[in-house]
Amino acid sequence: MTDAPTTDRWIRHLNLLQLVLAGIIIMTPTVWMVLSSLKPSFEVTAYPPTLVFSPTLENYVELMKTTPFVSYAVNSLIVTIGSTSLGLLFGIPAAFAVSWTRISWPAILTLAARMAPGTLFLLPWYVMFRQVGMIGSYTALILSHAVITLPIVIWVLMPSFDGIPRSVFEAAQVDGCSVTRILWRIALPLVGSGVAVAAILAFVFSWNYFLFALVLSNGDSKTLIAAAFNFIGEGSTQWGALMAAATLIALPPLILAALVQRWLVSGLTLGAVKG
Amino acid sequence: MSDAAATLTQDRQRLELSALSAPAVIFTVAMIAFPVVYTIWLGFQSFSSTGQQSFAGLANYAKLASDYEFWHGLWVTIALYVLSLFLQLVFGVWLALVLFHAKRLPGIVRSMFISPFMMPPVVAGMMWLVILDPSLGAANYILQSLGLPPSEWLASPTWVIPTVALIDSWQWTPYVALIVLGGLQSLPPSVYEAAQIDGASPFKTFQRITLPLLLPTIVTAAILRSVDLLRFFDIIYITTQGGPGNASNTLNIYGFRVGFEFFNIGYASALMLTLTAIVFGAVLAFNRLRGAVAW
Repeated sequence: MTDAPTTDRWIRHLNLLQLVLAGIIIMTPTVWMVLSSLKPSFEVTAYPPTLVFSPTLENYVELMKTTPFVSYAVNSLIVTIGSTSLGLLFGIPAAFAVSWTRISWPAILTLAARMAPGTLFLLPWYVMFRQVGMIGSYTALILSHAVITLPIVIWVLMPSFDGIPRSVFEAAQVDGCSVTRILWRIALPLVGSGVAVAAILAFVFSWNYFLFALVLSNGDSKTLIAAAFNFIGEGSTQWGALMAAATLIALPPLILAALVQRWLVSGLTLGAVKG
Repeated sequence: MSDAAATLTQDRQRLELSALSAPAVIFTVAMIAFPVVYTIWLGFQSFSSTGQQSFAGLANYAKLASDYEFWHGLWVTIALYVLSLFLQLVFGVWLALVLFHAKRLPGIVRSMFISPFMMPPVVAGMMWLVILDPSLGAANYILQSLGLPPSEWLASPTWVIPTVALIDSWQWTPYVALIVLGGLQSLPPSVYEAAQIDGASPFKTFQRITLPLLLPTIVTAAILRSVDLLRFFDIIYITTQGGPGNASNTLNIYGFRVGFEFFNIGYASALMLTLTAIVFGAVLAFNRLRGAVAW
C-alpha cells in the first residue's frame, strides 16, 4: 500500500478532469448563445464560426427597434407576478393546513394537475374563455399559470411548516390564538426562507411556461416565451437578434435561480428528496 | 375546560383548517377537475364541419385504433422517452458521482450546473437551433474539423429524435444529477468504510453497494423526468413543430395540432385523455418499482 497517496491524487485529478469536462459541455451552448448575440450581424452567420470579434450591442438595438420586445416583457412580468402572487395566496394557507392536519389529499390534488399534459386542460379552457370573451386577457393567463405555481408553493412549503416544532403552536393555542392567527403571526415568519424559495421557483416556472400563453394570449398580451416563436419565424437569417432575444428571456430565471441555488434541490423535487 | 367546550374548540379548529385549504382546493377543482370532466364529455362528442354537435359514443376512441398518425405519435413519444430517460439517468448518475467527490462546490459552480434547466426550454430550443444549423451551425463545423461527416440534425427524419433527445438531455441531466447527489449525500458513510476495510475496488463498491442503495433515488428521478418526457412539447414545437414531415410528431404535439390547428375538439380530447392515461400509468408503474427497490 506504499503508493496509496499517489493513487488518491490521481483519482482526485481524474475527478477534477471529469468535473471540468461536464462544466464545458453544460456551459458551451449558453456561452455560444451570448457570444452570438454580441457579434456584428455579418459575423453571426460566418462559416467557419469566429471566436474573436469586436463585441457590439447592435443586435439588441435591432431587437428593440424591430419587435415590441419591451411590451412582451411587460406582459410576461404581469402574468408571472400575478400567477406567483395567486399561487402564494392560495398555497401558503393550504400548505399550512396540510402540514397541520396530515390530511394530504389537497396537496396531491394540485400535484395531479401538474402531472397531466397541459393540453388536456387547454382545450376546455379555450372553449370556456372564448365563450366569456376572455381569450387574450391577463386574467385568463394569470389563472392558467397559477395552475403551475400553486403546487410548487404547496410542496416547497409543506416541509418547511413540518419543521416547526408542534410545541410552538400548542403554546400559542393555550394563549387563545386561533389557527389562522397562528399561521400569519407565528408560522409564516418562521418559514421566511421557504416562502422566498417557493416564490422564486414559482416565478421561474411560470416565466418559462410556453403552452398556455401560446393559445390563450393574443397580439396585445403575448408573453416573451410565446413571442419567441415569432422571433424565430422572422429571424431565420437574423441570428444575432434571435440570440439577443434568447439571452434576455433566459436572464431573469437564471439570476433568480443563482440567488437560491443552495435550497433549490429539495424545492425542485417537490419534497421527493430531502436535500 | 368542559368536554363540550373542548369539542366546540376542536370543531372550530377543524373548520378553520378546512377554510385555509379551501381556496387552493376550489381553485384546482374549478381549473382542473371541472375542465377534465368536460374533456371526458367532449371525447364522446363529434363535431360536424358546420359546428353541429352530436353524441358519438366511443367513435373517437375507435378512430384512435385506426389512425396511423396516432400510432406513429405513440412510437415517437416512446422512442424519445426511452432514449432521453436512458441518457439522463446514465449521465445524471455519472455527474452526481463526480459532483459528490468534488466535495465543496462554490456557489458559482453550482449555479452553472443548474443553469440549463432553470432557463426556459424554449430558449434551449432557440440556442440549439442556431448551433445545429445544418449549413452554418457550430456543431457541424466541429464535426468537420474532427474529420467527421456533418449531420442534418433537426432537419433529418432519421436524426431528429436523437437530436431532440440530446437537447433535452443537455437541459435536464444536471437536474437528475442534483437529485441523485441528494441521495448520495444521505447514504450512511459507514457502508463505504466497511467496503474499504474489506478491500473492495471503487468499481465493485459502486456496483455492489452504492448503486443498490441509490436505486430509490434514481427511480424518483425517473418518475419526475417521465412526467415531463411523455408530454414532450416545448423544444419540439420551437425547433421542428413535429417535422421534418411527421418525424418528431409526439402525441402531445399531435393532440395540440388536432385541437388547435384542425379544431377537431372531440378527437383531440380523446387523444389527450389517452396521453394522460399513459403518463399516470408510467408514474404508477415507477411508484411500484420504487416500493420494490426501497431499503
